[in-house]
Amino acid sequence: MSTVDVIGAVKRYGRVAALDEVSIRFGEGEFFGLIGPSGSGKTTLLRAIAGFADLDSGEIRIDNQPVGDRPAHKRDIGMVFQNYALFPHLTVFENVAFGLSVRGRPREATRKEVGAMLELVRLSGFDARKPRQLSGGQQQRVALARALVTRPRVLLLDEPLGALDKRLRQEMQIELRLIQREVGITTIFVTHDQEEALTLSDRIAIFNEGKIVQIGAPGEVYERPRSAFAAGFLGDANLFQGAVLDGRGVEVGGLGILRTADALPAAGTHVTLAVRPEKIQVWVEGLATPGADINRFRGTVRRAVYAGTNLTYKIEVGTHLVTVFEQNRAAHPLPAGTAVNVGWLPVHSVLVAT
Amino acid sequence: MRDLGIWAVRLYLGLMLLFLYLPIVVMVLLAFNRSPLYQLPIVWDTVWFQSLIHNDRLVGAGLNSVGLALVNMVIATALGTMVAIAFARYQFRGKAVLELLLFPPITIPWLIIGISMLIFFFWVGIGRGLHAMLLGHVALSLPYVIMVVGARLKGYGPALEEAAATLGASPWQAFWRVSLPVMAPGVAAAALFAFAVSFDQFVISYFLAPPGVSTLPVEIYAAIRKGFTPEINAISTIIILFSMGLMLLIARLYRFGGER
Amino acid sequence: MMQEARRRVAIGFLTAPAYVWLTVTVLLPLSAMLFFSFLTVAPINGREAQLTTEHYLTFIDKDFYRTLTWRSLRLGFDVTLACVLVGYPAALALAKHVKGRWREAIFLLIILPFWSNALVRVYSWTMVMREGGFLDWVLHWMAPDAPPFGLLFTYPAIVIGLVHSYLPYVVLTCYISLEAIDDSLMEAARSLGASTLQVFWRVILPLSLPGLLVGVILTFIPVIGSFMEPRILGGRAGIMLGTVIEDQFTTVFNWPRGAALSFIMLGIVLLIFAASAPLLRSRLKGL
Repeated sequence: MSTVDVIGAVKRYGRVAALDEVSIRFGEGEFFGLIGPSGSGKTTLLRAIAGFADLDSGEIRIDNQPVGDRPAHKRDIGMVFQNYALFPHLTVFENVAFGLSVRGRPREATRKEVGAMLELVRLSGFDARKPRQLSGGQQQRVALARALVTRPRVLLLDEPLGALDKRLRQEMQIELRLIQREVGITTIFVTHDQEEALTLSDRIAIFNEGKIVQIGAPGEVYERPRSAFAAGFLGDANLFQGAVLDGRGVEVGGLGILRTADALPAAGTHVTLAVRPEKIQVWVEGLATPGADINRFRGTVRRAVYAGTNLTYKIEVGTHLVTVFEQNRAAHPLPAGTAVNVGWLPVHSVLVAT
Repeated sequence: MRDLGIWAVRLYLGLMLLFLYLPIVVMVLLAFNRSPLYQLPIVWDTVWFQSLIHNDRLVGAGLNSVGLALVNMVIATALGTMVAIAFARYQFRGKAVLELLLFPPITIPWLIIGISMLIFFFWVGIGRGLHAMLLGHVALSLPYVIMVVGARLKGYGPALEEAAATLGASPWQAFWRVSLPVMAPGVAAAALFAFAVSFDQFVISYFLAPPGVSTLPVEIYAAIRKGFTPEINAISTIIILFSMGLMLLIARLYRFGGER
Repeated sequence: MMQEARRRVAIGFLTAPAYVWLTVTVLLPLSAMLFFSFLTVAPINGREAQLTTEHYLTFIDKDFYRTLTWRSLRLGFDVTLACVLVGYPAALALAKHVKGRWREAIFLLIILPFWSNALVRVYSWTMVMREGGFLDWVLHWMAPDAPPFGLLFTYPAIVIGLVHSYLPYVVLTCYISLEAIDDSLMEAARSLGASTLQVFWRVILPLSLPGLLVGVILTFIPVIGSFMEPRILGGRAGIMLGTVIEDQFTTVFNWPRGAALSFIMLGIVLLIFAASAPLLRSRLKGL
């Protein structure tokens, strides 16, 4: 259980700043997700912590000791690579035992620990197989066992589930979390799959162009994005731009007055509000309406997408095309052209930019 | 109509293979023919193979060829593998230039390379001889070694060494326990390649051979120019079968496409 | 920044030996040859030499050298054309019409001769082509009264021998680029209404052109520089630029002239490369 501190990290490739003054603290035993688009710096940060990329300036500390120039093999970390990087010429046992044998552990002890680790990842009995004889999911588990058996201080995962298909990925996500909780190791992982980041992490950090855009627990970051980018990257968002009218409302052109529960700046300021599609309700004219204190507008269904568990609507409201997610309770999507009402609570209008 | 197409393809390929192997087969058969004047039909005999053993010139040349090829194999493989590792693991300015510099030995006609070596070595005092031939053979083998080992390394990327590092292996340990074993089939294939390049090399050896010292191909060429003797068939048969055998071995070790 | 310095040292250590070797054995000799070509005589055994351009001028003046170069170029052209006409269809057949183990086996059989001893292969053709050789024997077996037949010491003999040497290489390069063409491209063309001929002409041929070009260039160049095959198979009919250059070093001992002729040949080679450099570089990187 170790802490990792990144202080003012800067890394440039030519004129591009892959890391632009990044500071972050990874707490003991935390499962921390780094997400962001390609090239945003998340992988660079991971590799810098591992020791594969030198920082141009800034510092990395593990357990409050600076790692400085120490090469990767002296940092006592464990890493799982995107393509697993299993040694093709070694068996599963030898792969997992590698870190131990490199440190000169005696054979008996090695055998015991490898056995225990294989059991943890549910691959007991696979000792003699070669990597090429394993499926993707199995290779991934071997890679995990190999990284953990030396009891490193930090576990780094570089898009570990990227190569797996959806069902397998979901299974592995659960397993990964269980194993991490059981072992209790501080884990930092990189992914571009936001759903994965939300389900697995204790905290997440959103990267964009070398900077951290927002850090926090998944719920906090998701429900209260602090920028249009964060709102749009983690999940979907309907963005509305307008001018502040008074303490609680914003005048949005082509729509009307949007009410929000967030504190607004002075009247006349231009702001952007974000509303998540799943927070919006849709109902047909005349049917029972929800509570009175909501943002309510009239619109027309333009498109409906049926996805089994949910329905996605594109509804024309004024001059805006609003996206709505609904649980599939009715079993039949509303047909295009239906006149509907859309509404959401003011607390779900999030101020994201001024 | 489909069948006709398939048979046409088979016929075409068959004829081409016939063209490629006909002269070799003829030569091999004649090597076993007792008649010293190549008269057909064949009368089976191994007399020419036996007389080879007593042909001191050929035996000497053969030993030179094998010895030279072995030394060439060791040097070219070592030097070439180092370069292949550098190319695969590092990105650096000037890499493209270095890669380009590998082309002259295989693309410039060997006539020109051989002559330039002859001129330069004489001028500088290295002169002709087996040592001079070694210098030339290694230069010719290097691009092939680099290509073969490079192809093998490309399949595995730097991730393996990085993984070893995260597991606590020092660079030396990582090299010894991961990189080397993974590279091994490629290096072995490259080594055999280097051996074959040297053993079969004619042009460079021809220009750098002083009187009294030669390799097998040079000796055979001289014999052909002087006039046919059936012994040439015998030694040629041995060489070609050896060459082809070597190539089959390399193909085993290094399939085009690589084994994963 | 220690890592950066260590990295540089590593790269230097790994690449220096090989490239020093190449410099000493290829680059320096070529430069020496260039310098030599401007001397009157070889400065060995204590002879004095002066700078001159006479060797290059002789090349331009004398008709002999012009015809010689032309013959060599023509030889290159004939051999390359034959290799392409025979080899490309074979590569196409192998890449698209033969599957499974047969493909690997036939491919190996075609490549095998290429990587074995070239001298021996050329020699083996003499056994077939000479008077009293295999062809003669077959002819007399069919028509016993025919006069003795010998193909040896003729221009066609040289062409046949060289084609035999380089055909596998052309098949190899064409095969590699043909094989890389995804089957789905051809199926897509088909689904859009293209006939077999059109699929070939508009999809397969253009996509395989780079590989074909590589094979053509890397056949043409060695052929124009060949001397062993013309001598063995062509005898007196086999006088090419390559054989004349070789003469300068083994019989005539006019090294500077030989150097000059070599450099002219090198010039031709470099011209060919320059003309096709972009295509070549991108293609060979993938090889």
